[in-house]
Amino acid sequence: MSIFATSTSAFFDRANLDLNSLRSQAEGLQSQISSGQRLTTSSDDPLAASRLRSLQRSDALAAVDTAAANRATSDLNLADSALNQFANYITRIQELATQASTGTLSDSQRASIGSELTQIRKDLVSMANTRDSSGHALFGGDASGDAYDIDSTTGAARYIGGGSAGELSLGEGQTVTRSLTGPEFLSFKDKAGNTTDLMAVVKTLGDALQAGGTAAQTTANASLDTLRNALDSVTTAQTVVGSRLSWIDLTVERQTAMGTARSSEQADVGGTDTSEAVVKLQELSTVLQASQASFAKLSSLSLFSILR
Amino acid sequence: MSSDLLSIGASGVKAAKIALDVTGQNISNASSDGYIRRTAKSTEVASTGYHGTIRDVSLSGVRISGVIRNADAFRQAEVRRTGSDTARASTEVSSLSNIEAAVENANVYTAITGFESSLQKLKEDPTDTSLRASVLEAGRTMTQTFQIAATQLDAVGTGLRFNATDGVTQVNTLAAELARTNLRLSRAADASSDQTALLDQRDKLLNDLSQYADIGTTFASDGTVAVTIGGGSAPTLVAGGTSYAVAMTTVSGTGTVSDGTISFDVGGAPVALSGGSLAGQQQSLIKLGQVHGNLDTLAADIVTTVNDAQKGGVDLDGTTGGDLFSGDKASNFTLTASSGRLIATAATGIGSRDTTNLDALRTALGTTDPAGRMDGILFDISGTVSGHTVTRDALKTISDAAATALSAQSGVDLDTEAVNLVRYQQAFQASGRVMQVASDLFDTLLNIK
Repeated sequence: MSIFATSTSAFFDRANLDLNSLRSQAEGLQSQISSGQRLTTSSDDPLAASRLRSLQRSDALAAVDTAAANRATSDLNLADSALNQFANYITRIQELATQASTGTLSDSQRASIGSELTQIRKDLVSMANTRDSSGHALFGGDASGDAYDIDSTTGAARYIGGGSAGELSLGEGQTVTRSLTGPEFLSFKDKAGNTTDLMAVVKTLGDALQAGGTAAQTTANASLDTLRNALDSVTTAQTVVGSRLSWIDLTVERQTAMGTARSSEQADVGGTDTSEAVVKLQELSTVLQASQASFAKLSSLSLFSILR
Repeated sequence: MSSDLLSIGASGVKAAKIALDVTGQNISNASSDGYIRRTAKSTEVASTGYHGTIRDVSLSGVRISGVIRNADAFRQAEVRRTGSDTARASTEVSSLSNIEAAVENANVYTAITGFESSLQKLKEDPTDTSLRASVLEAGRTMTQTFQIAATQLDAVGTGLRFNATDGVTQVNTLAAELARTNLRLSRAADASSDQTALLDQRDKLLNDLSQYADIGTTFASDGTVAVTIGGGSAPTLVAGGTSYAVAMTTVSGTGTVSDGTISFDVGGAPVALSGGSLAGQQQSLIKLGQVHGNLDTLAADIVTTVNDAQKGGVDLDGTTGGDLFSGDKASNFTLTASSGRLIATAATGIGSRDTTNLDALRTALGTTDPAGRMDGILFDISGTVSGHTVTRDALKTISDAAATALSAQSGVDLDTEAVNLVRYQQAFQASGRVMQVASDLFDTLLNIK
């Protein structure tokens, strides 16, 4: 502002205003440097503040997505190891069925194989009721409680779980199915093309072997093809689980990349550029020192001190 | 008619004495608020001759014809006008910053995000009671932050109305004082030191008044002033020795809309203010009402969205979902559900892990978009603060320039006064010397023998 003449009080007022404004600017920079944040309130830069809010929101939601991915990973790993055991059992049943189909075995030998099969069937049912990481049936779909129970009259295993395994969201609209339902890998077609399930096949075989007679050998022979289908079904399910696990890996990788991008944007938008701020602070303090010195010099200039 | 050297000298001494007094007064008031530099105006005393004495020398020295106030009416008016604008803008910035702090520091946005992410987390295992409890607690936190924001906004509103009431009292006091000053001015002698002091007082009162409201002034030849307040029809505030009281009315809210805006009138005639702190408070209260209204609508929409979505499913015990929240505005937004079991996540079934209804709730919340709207509210108020800060800074520069220009012209410069002090001291000494010469001349005449 141009000064044409000056009054004493105006001189002091102006010096006061100028020094104060320099000081408050320097203090603002100092607080930016010490807090690392460029914005103290939203009104410092409304647009950047709004962007920071949405980044923080994405961070909060991404943390939930990461937890969901971890949970899905552990559930699918549990499913994978359970499927491995199923495959092992089916291989064992195939061995037993092959033995039983041999004509040289006596009825009592077949009956003992049959009782082993009955035991294996119990194991299969309890394995089908395996729990997941949160204590629900791993293969029971979205129902709580067991996946399979034993019909008290017929003794057959029944699927009592929900229709589909739940989906977990992995963020950005991506989802993954957390597990499989029992029927998805335990039900398959038998030799004649009818739908059956592993527990029923094993029960039929075990019952027939224990009953003995010529039917025992025929049933054992017939079950070999069906058991091959059962093994196929389980190994297919393992492939599905494996591909889901690698999908989660991909998603987690993307989540990490997004998280890194977000934090770098947060630093860009809301962080203090320390070197710039320090240089600016240095500049301000130089100006402030010069202003103080010139004020001290000018204010001591008075005609009264010269006139005697 | 003839001259008298002794009395000429005496008048010079007297005039120099008065000029020294004025200089001394200037020096001692160098930092007084509203003091305007005076100068003593000296006039020659000489009688013009008439026909018979036309060749006579008739000189009678000097006299102080008046004390001059070096006030520039135009610059004073500029200081009042720009000061009024700055006062309005400063009040707006500080009150809007309070509104911003009230909404921002309540952390409503963070709480909404917390509620949303707790719902997302619940999807991992909808039958887990601890996850359900965390949804309920996140919901409770959200309702509480809304209540805090509403309480804070109400407090800001109360503070603004209190300040406005105080401002109105000040305006009325100043107007009454101005009317009294007018009365005394109309009786004061022209160019007397009494009148200059009264004029200083008048200008200071006008300046103070302009900090509260924008005023219009009309000066009469005797120095009295008539003041109108506000724009438009501009009702009279002070006329001669009479002042008229300004009254403030608070608009009461209707229904769920909390209004609380204020209006002013002088004896029933509405006052449309565009400057001064009162205008700032009036404008800020309008913005406050708008922000408060947006917050209320958002709270009511969250209640409706969540409760409607609840009805579409069943809770953990298989019963149709009831209301989770209640309230129709931010201040009565509360959590009504007593247990996490009451969140309806499944479509049907007891203890089902089905998330159909939870997904529906999250989709409905996604459509209502509470986080986005809250961000909008925060952006609205912080953008307004930021814009007004720029305006305030610009207006402040203008009003500072006007004040400096006035002060440079009418304020006391100690260096000038030092020079004057020397000058009048020399004039005093010289006039004394004149008296000495007159006495010597007289003695010379007496000594003629």
